[in-house]
Amino acid sequence: MIVFFQSLISGILVGGIYALIGIGLTIIFGVMRVINFAHGDLLMLGMYATWLLFKYLGLDPYVALVVTMPLLFLWGALLQKVIINRVLGALPQNQILLTIGLGLIMSNSVMLLFTSDYRILTTSYSSSSFSLLGISISQPLLYSFLVTVAITGVLFWFLQTTDTGQAIRATAQDRDAAQLMGINVKRMSVLAFGLGTALAGTAGALLAPTYYIFPQVGGPFTLKAFVVVVLGGMGSIVGATLGGVLIGVTESMAAVYVGSGLKELVVYVLFLLILLFRPAGLLGKSRA
Amino acid sequence: MRAPPVALRRPARGFSTPALLAYLTVIALLALVPQLTHKPSLLHLWIMVFLAISQGAAWNVIGGYTGQYSVGHAAYFGLGAYITMLLLEMHQVPPWYGLGLAMVGAVLLSVIIGAITFRLRGPYFVLASIAVAEIIRLAALDFRDFTRGAEGILLSGIPPLQLGAHLTIRFVGKQPFFYAALALAVLAVSSNWVVQHTKLGYYFQAIREDQDAAHSLGINPTLHKSIALAISAALTAAAGAIFGLYVRFIDPNIVFSLPDVSVQMVLICIIGGIGTILGPVLGAVVLVLLSETLRNPGWLVQVGVLGEDSTLVDFIEQRLSSAHVLVYGVLVVIVILFAPDGLLGVLRKGLDRLRRRPGASAAPRAAA
Repeated sequence: MIVFFQSLISGILVGGIYALIGIGLTIIFGVMRVINFAHGDLLMLGMYATWLLFKYLGLDPYVALVVTMPLLFLWGALLQKVIINRVLGALPQNQILLTIGLGLIMSNSVMLLFTSDYRILTTSYSSSSFSLLGISISQPLLYSFLVTVAITGVLFWFLQTTDTGQAIRATAQDRDAAQLMGINVKRMSVLAFGLGTALAGTAGALLAPTYYIFPQVGGPFTLKAFVVVVLGGMGSIVGATLGGVLIGVTESMAAVYVGSGLKELVVYVLFLLILLFRPAGLLGKSRA
Repeated sequence: MRAPPVALRRPARGFSTPALLAYLTVIALLALVPQLTHKPSLLHLWIMVFLAISQGAAWNVIGGYTGQYSVGHAAYFGLGAYITMLLLEMHQVPPWYGLGLAMVGAVLLSVIIGAITFRLRGPYFVLASIAVAEIIRLAALDFRDFTRGAEGILLSGIPPLQLGAHLTIRFVGKQPFFYAALALAVLAVSSNWVVQHTKLGYYFQAIREDQDAAHSLGINPTLHKSIALAISAALTAAAGAIFGLYVRFIDPNIVFSLPDVSVQMVLICIIGGIGTILGPVLGAVVLVLLSETLRNPGWLVQVGVLGEDSTLVDFIEQRLSSAHVLVYGVLVVIVILFAPDGLLGVLRKGLDRLRRRPGASAAPRAAA
């Protein structure tokens, strides 16, 4: 039983980070209808930014968020304004390939700059853990989860109550209607891509103390982000949050009860089943 | 009013004799290459180009002509390589039978994958195709008893092929692989030709243009998508098999790779020109030359483009050898933003402009 709760807890903690990745992807999809295949590579940039700040300035990864988040927001906004904006009306296949290309450029530029060596960011608390009723909780994972909860809370507040947040949601609901109501949808797209990038980068920063850092780290996270988002329903932020936690728990349960080599396989099978039998996701409205 | 059966983006042209003659001449000239040069690095380059053409043209059948953007073709490539290599290593089945079995296996797999993924459209289809291929890669890594997992399969040797009483082909050196890869490339390009000009191919293209309209005109979309996928899968598996035999070592992360196989097959077509016969050929030549040059610029010296002590070779080897994927990325972004019809489209536009220039002979332009 202790094993069950142990894997449940660590699944939820990791799931929080997955949720953050998924929320970023779902905001981008919701507002722009673009499926961002470079999402994991944006996460990778967040990891490297955190690692560089830690290595050269000695900045703690969690403190460094005040730098990495705005930095990635700007990067995402720039990408949207200069490149992705040009394919907003294009075929979805072309949008997918464009973001795949951008992902390749990012991961390989990082590889040229920093080689493909695995980097490790070791903080004083990297391998320490709390013990609660016989269940050990990794310190960095717990901190990351708390940060995730805080960020998600702020994000909900921002989207629900502020004018800009409502404008973003309106654009996601109906781009044309939003434009007719006087919302600057182009600006909303830039904001949304910036926001999505910042969230992916934050997830990267939060993973940095517990994960290997290397240029190709993003690929699997891109796929995982899709699983999370499709599970929750494309465009639904609450769905992505729920989906992230569900995938985190599924993975950690599968690692214990099926085999650690098969945990990702289980997740992809689950993904296919959802695509086939509940394509709108758990919380999404049927659109297609 | 009776509507024409299908609406096509480009008016289909029938088999034209000059084009066919040109095609046969090129094949004949290419077949002479190993008689003219024995430089291994040059032959290697040709083999890689032929395999890339095969992969690109194979993907073109389902992606370019039928409009189903599968980003999971590594499943068939890897399956082809694994079936051939495992049969040869474990059961001493000669690879020319193994290759056939690999193609049959890929067709069977394509039926299963098609049954799952063809119910989905657009981005959901793309995601499902990736998921299926990743499931197969992870399974190949995990079921060690059967596939040897990440350890991979190292080929100990290929038995000689006895053709008739006098001709024995020994699989040493690069020459046999040159001809095998050339034959597959010809087969794959010819398949594109057939798809572009026959009724079956018109069905594919109708589904690409508007699946619902095609359906309402009596075309069974699922059936024809499955046929297109089966052709594509069989050719891809053959490319995987020849690749495995040629490099003599495979493991799941090489032949089932999402970025190096699945994505690359799409990129070949996108960069060259999707849904055209020459597009994958052009894309393959450009991509392979770029990536092989960045990975191993030595062939430039062997051909005589650069001198023995050229500093450029050192520079490339030291600084750019890991950048070949970066070049793909840049090319794809440029092509999608500025030349959605690929390099072939750019070439065609350039030729058109030349022809239209005042003073030049006013040749009648093909219907645009």
